[in-house]
Amino acid sequence: MSRLDDNDLLERFRKLPAPLLPLLHAFHERDGLVSEEALEALSEGLHIPRAELYGTLTFYHHLSRIPGGQAAPRVCTGPICRYKGGPEILEALRKDGATPMPCAGRCDEPVPVLFGNEVRVGSSVPELLSRPSPLPVPNPGAVEECVFAEIREPDRASLVGYERTGGYEALRRCTAGLRPSELIDLVAESGLAGRGGAGFPTARKWSAVAEATGGPKTIVANADEGEPGCFKDRVLMDHDPHALIEGMCLAAHATGASRGFIYLRYEYPETLAILEKALDEARAAGHLGDRIHGSGFSFEIHLRRGAGAYICGEETSLLNSLEGKHPFPRNRPPFPVTHGYEGTPTAVNNVETLCSVAPIVRKGVEWYQSLGLAENAGTKLISLSGDIQRPGNYEVPLGLPLQTLLADWAGGPPEGRRIQAVTMAGLSGGFLAGADLDVDLDEPGIRSKGSFLGAGGIMVFDDSRDMVQVAHGAMEFFAEESCGKCFPCRIGTRRLAERLAQSHGPRDLATWQQEARELSVVMRATSACGLGQAAPLVVESLMKYFPEELEQSLVSGWSGGNDER
Amino acid sequence: MSDRQAGAGQATLVIDGAEVAFEPGESLFEVSARVGKRLPSLCYDERLEAFGACRLCVVEVEGIRNPVASCTTLAADGMVVTTSSAEVEAWRKTLVEMVASENREVEVDPLRGHASQELSRLVARYDAVPGRFAGEPSGKSREDDGNPFLLRDYDLCISCYRCVRVCAEQQGDHAIGIANRGFETRITTEFDGELRDSACVFCGQCVQTCPTGALADRKAMRGVDVPGEIEKTRTICPYCGVGCSVDLMTKGDKLVGVQPAMDGPANKGALCVKGQFAFDFVQHEDRLAHPMVRNDDGELVRASWDEALDRAAKGFRGVVERHGRHAVYGVASGRAPHEAAYLMQKWIRTGFGTNFIDNCSRA
Amino acid sequence: MSNPLSDMELPNVMFCIGTNMTECHPVAATRLKKAKAKGAKLIVADPRRIRLAEHADLYLPLRVGSDVALLLAMAHVIVREGLVDGEFVATRTRDYEAFRDHVAEFTPEWASAICQVPAKDIALAARWFGEAAPGAIYYTLGITEHISGVDNVQSLSNLALMTGNLGKVGGGINPMRGQNNIQGAGDCGAIPSGFPGFQACDDPANVAKFSKAYGREIDCEKGITKVTALDLAGDKIHAMLIDGENTVVSDPDKGHCEKALRSLEHLVLIDIFETDTAKFADVVLPATAWAETDGVVTNTERRPQRLRAAVPAPGEARPDWWILAELAKRLEMPGFDYSGPDEIFNELCSLSPIYAGLDWDLVGTGAYQWPVPEKGHPGTPRLHETEFPNGRGIFKKILYRDPAEVVDDEYPIWLTTGRRLQTYHTNTQTGRSEGIDYFVPHEVLEVHPEDLTAWGLADGQLAFLESRRGGIEIRVEAHPRSPRGTVFSSFSFAATPINDLTGSGYDPVTQTAELKVCPVKIRPVAENEPVPSS
Ligand SMILES: Cc1cc2nc3c(=O)[nH]c(=O)nc-3n(C[C@H](O)[C@H](O)[C@H](O)COP(=O)(O)O)c2cc1C
Ligand code: SF4
Ligand code: SF4
Ligand code: FES
Repeated sequence: MSRLDDNDLLERFRKLPAPLLPLLHAFHERDGLVSEEALEALSEGLHIPRAELYGTLTFYHHLSRIPGGQAAPRVCTGPICRYKGGPEILEALRKDGATPMPCAGRCDEPVPVLFGNEVRVGSSVPELLSRPSPLPVPNPGAVEECVFAEIREPDRASLVGYERTGGYEALRRCTAGLRPSELIDLVAESGLAGRGGAGFPTARKWSAVAEATGGPKTIVANADEGEPGCFKDRVLMDHDPHALIEGMCLAAHATGASRGFIYLRYEYPETLAILEKALDEARAAGHLGDRIHGSGFSFEIHLRRGAGAYICGEETSLLNSLEGKHPFPRNRPPFPVTHGYEGTPTAVNNVETLCSVAPIVRKGVEWYQSLGLAENAGTKLISLSGDIQRPGNYEVPLGLPLQTLLADWAGGPPEGRRIQAVTMAGLSGGFLAGADLDVDLDEPGIRSKGSFLGAGGIMVFDDSRDMVQVAHGAMEFFAEESCGKCFPCRIGTRRLAERLAQSHGPRDLATWQQEARELSVVMRATSACGLGQAAPLVVESLMKYFPEELEQSLVSGWSGGNDER
Repeated sequence: MSDRQAGAGQATLVIDGAEVAFEPGESLFEVSARVGKRLPSLCYDERLEAFGACRLCVVEVEGIRNPVASCTTLAADGMVVTTSSAEVEAWRKTLVEMVASENREVEVDPLRGHASQELSRLVARYDAVPGRFAGEPSGKSREDDGNPFLLRDYDLCISCYRCVRVCAEQQGDHAIGIANRGFETRITTEFDGELRDSACVFCGQCVQTCPTGALADRKAMRGVDVPGEIEKTRTICPYCGVGCSVDLMTKGDKLVGVQPAMDGPANKGALCVKGQFAFDFVQHEDRLAHPMVRNDDGELVRASWDEALDRAAKGFRGVVERHGRHAVYGVASGRAPHEAAYLMQKWIRTGFGTNFIDNCSRA
Repeated sequence: MSNPLSDMELPNVMFCIGTNMTECHPVAATRLKKAKAKGAKLIVADPRRIRLAEHADLYLPLRVGSDVALLLAMAHVIVREGLVDGEFVATRTRDYEAFRDHVAEFTPEWASAICQVPAKDIALAARWFGEAAPGAIYYTLGITEHISGVDNVQSLSNLALMTGNLGKVGGGINPMRGQNNIQGAGDCGAIPSGFPGFQACDDPANVAKFSKAYGREIDCEKGITKVTALDLAGDKIHAMLIDGENTVVSDPDKGHCEKALRSLEHLVLIDIFETDTAKFADVVLPATAWAETDGVVTNTERRPQRLRAAVPAPGEARPDWWILAELAKRLEMPGFDYSGPDEIFNELCSLSPIYAGLDWDLVGTGAYQWPVPEKGHPGTPRLHETEFPNGRGIFKKILYRDPAEVVDDEYPIWLTTGRRLQTYHTNTQTGRSEGIDYFVPHEVLEVHPEDLTAWGLADGQLAFLESRRGGIEIRVEAHPRSPRGTVFSSFSFAATPINDLTGSGYDPVTQTAELKVCPVKIRPVAENEPVPSS
């Protein structure tokens, strides 16, 4: 293809909704960097002041401003990869301009390295290979699944395969007469709650959007999956992309939305291509676009690629990012359900949440409720990684004992090792260890231990790991990903990271703990969004479960190790 | 400041036990300030949209789990608000100590800018220990920027973004932005260059809203070593016809700087580069310090007031004698105050009985 | 201004013509930017692509001096498309029918041929303004410094009347005054046509009032303007008292001006610096400056505010009022015994109906906008809310006229002059403030980059710029703000006296000089070539 000039590119995207991100990527890929000239053209074309645009550009991790930067390798040095060869690969590729990146969502197959628009995985440079993300293994507990039920069917990712295995039946029921309010009632009865972290009841969100005035209403699929140790949305999109599309259509039908966005994290370029193809297929087959299935219902989906920022998974930061603004989270209220994308009523839902809806419609509320154990309704995807025999994605019935998952389903720790601690909610839930590992996987259970299930990322650390170092890596992640808007988080994450690294701060345990507690309390109570509120859990749980290790580390000084990511 | 009575039908809330009426759209911060409780803040500037960054103004609201930022939370009917429980006050102290730990110094000269004492005042109010959470400093001063007006001493920056917001919302120029994120956040122009190469118009509004003196008035700072206390005198800018209110900053007999008046009816805290920085012509060595008359050699030479006024009067008298009263003309200044223009026209009309008077508006 | 500055945040269409507001009235411009951020539309008409034009939703790059053509065509479209505010026209105005018939022939196509703005843009501007609720007009010297200055203003008034935008919140016709007390000088009666408070000085009742107050019989006829006075210098006018004006740099046609001042028998200046004009003075009297003076100034929105002294004046410098009073006493004029500025201001209030409700103490917080007809009156933020001074607003039939001089083969380039952000007026103040030279070290002539090439000039080169009245040496600078064929300079540097060239004509009514239009020619100068003196 011949090189498109600035104006061609601007013309191509300017009139589309949320044009900044695709334009940034178009320039990034065309030139290998986002140059000053490109920025000037964008500023003029989109009427964004230069200084503001420059600031926004520097916010994103992956947009390079040096020649050749786009293609330069990015090596994961996330909490898992840092123990599985990440730092060594990074060193080996430095000569090619490699830079570290935070967890890239392949913790089940470490280490991912991003070369331009291709992810290769392997535990050393020669082993690096481009591979599709692994399909989940057949359910080890042989329990009935919801979102994974059909994912292993051959061809499920194609329209033909999807339709053959029940796909778009739920949407057909809607276009054939299931009313929006009936759909919302159904979802309400099922008890489905958000799978992106906050666990907000999905039906309540949808009815708020449905009742809100103003429009056009918007559905956003949150496919940013930035939480370290989480890679469940990726496998859904890679192997069951139409499930997400159908889920979004159902959400649109329920709320009266006419436009949708998928906000996909930068580190999933293959997924981008898969989704693009699926969207084309769905459009061609009349499942998407004007007058779906010949009904009066119209809905269009725009695919947007993020550019590397964990905070952009936070829904209001995500909306600012889509709108081309500096991606700080917004002040709430007002909430997105009334003032979301460009001020219109908007439902932001996690990929897993959206993928759960069609099965519920198809198989019924009772069926869904029965999937959970005891009081719990439904299932949850768990991304399991780290020091465990069989890492991967598992769909567990809510209420499954954690130990069952770890020992029976995933084969327990490596030979000769003992599980020292696991993280919850990726990194946001901090650690569970010791007796607290005997817990059921459901929100009330885990909250009773002072943590939360969140998006369902569980990273396992065996007894060979230095937990102070693990905690430091986690805090370093939060410090680097803090957007910098609010003071407690911006300063607190940095100060805690410094104290874990012992580059600053007191050396005696009592004072150390006093300071850390004080910082943690203020961060949790006063931070403006979930990042700053959750970040101190890492330190608090470290103090709770590993006081001796902490003291030891304070006495002997920082154990060092790679703390770059 | 009226402590409004809760009239029938008007929405009210309870703030620290007292029932208070409020207007729709008022924030908890505003309601609280109105009843005499100015909550602590660092990112707040009443002219700007509330931003909710510093979190010092958090208050507890019954029925809401986490405390809320009072600046971004609108008052609602029936709310029960506690502004300053012991716990919240303790958080505030910690927060102030966290902020103070970022900076090279907390005490700065008040000549740096209008709001430059906000951080040091909070440190004093909370008896905070700035060294408590010692660690890496955040901002990075831009010593390379040689512009004569705005010192960019970002070693003192606490990332409240008031400068960026005032430039965008008040000034409308969007010359500066927020680069990077988290603790690495920096205030920059496009491409990180000098202000001169950006959209900056050097109005100085960023300087005047900066709560730490990180952005500082370079010209005023020339007066840091001038002995004496700073005194402020309210007056009007001498330049264009907008009539911005300013405070003259003096130390003894020395005019050291200008600050905008936040309550100026025409400007509400705004100024332009001239009003903000071009004040030192007043005490310039070129100022005329004594009357001058032209001598027989055609040179202007120093004279006493008596000599000069007599000479001036004599000249007018002579012209009237020779050519009549319609030979004298008066031109008033568009820059001197009313009293000058009024007396100039009175001088012509009373002295010569003509309307041979004009001012310089036609040039 | 008919409306307060705070109203500038409220219109939904803003029409700015002949005002380089971001540079000349930067703080007022911030309000327009706020209105824009809230969604208002901004129309900017200016020959140069000024910074305000970059903010505009519609930019009309008209040829210098062609404003009337543009405004006639806008009125034409507003009539044609039925956007006239019939109710306002019926109840508040006069002579509309004649005006309507008058504009019937002035189509956008006709105007386009004159002002060089595409006809469709003229029509669009008219449509936006016609549909605005409210729409506001802002202008500055780009409208008045023309031989057709009065016509331009009246054309704007026609637009505001026909769309019913006078007396409305967020609307109005709003001239932005250029100097801190230029409005006040008029308020105080320092004009040839009126006593303080704009009381006509050819009205016998007013003349009687002031003759009595001042203890002197005053002529019952208008005086002459400064421009006429300078023209008559040495002929009828033989003495002048000038306060705070650097006439030879700020006034047009410097050669003529110098000759006029030289031919006076007696010239007395009151100033804070020894300006270039002092060369011609017999006596120069040192005044106190801003920051050393107590007094009152009125801003562009008719708001009197207090100046306060903060530092002592240098040497023997004295307040202007003291100097004028002393000079009066030495000429045995009665009524000049004042104890201070407050007494003078209060006397002004007692004689001026628009200040009748004010006094020295009341203006302390700047809370009033005149007219304040009696004590206790809250002031008048908006003029014409219920009626006009003469009852109804009158439509005027205006015809387009060419500028006094137009470009021809010999002088093929339009020169237009104005101010820059950092330098003020003749730079006597800004030039003596440290740091300003960092931005504007010397004068430059802004030339379109392609014109530079076409005229054989290099960016930054010295050139000789010449009009029918004189020529100067000036450095050229490639500047995309200048349209092709039009060049720009300020009048802030005595070393580059651009007003040697200007002064081609004057408005017949106000005698304001056509400083905005002057045909010139240009040629490169080798750096060491002697320059012909003008
Ligand atoms: C720092 C932060 C990061 C987040 N990242 C994600 C994410 O990557 N994906 C996601 O679905 N939700 C994420 N969330 C949660 C979203 O804000 C939001 O609650 C969610 O998308 C709502 O969808 P749900 O109701 O379907 O769970 C994040 C929240 C925070 C505070
Ligand atoms: S908590 Fe952290 S990430 Fe969230 S708004 Fe505050 S600084 Fe940004
Ligand atoms: S420079 Fe000042 S105003 Fe700007 S962000 Fe830093 S502390 Fe705030
Ligand atoms: S992919 Fe590297 S830690 Fe998750």
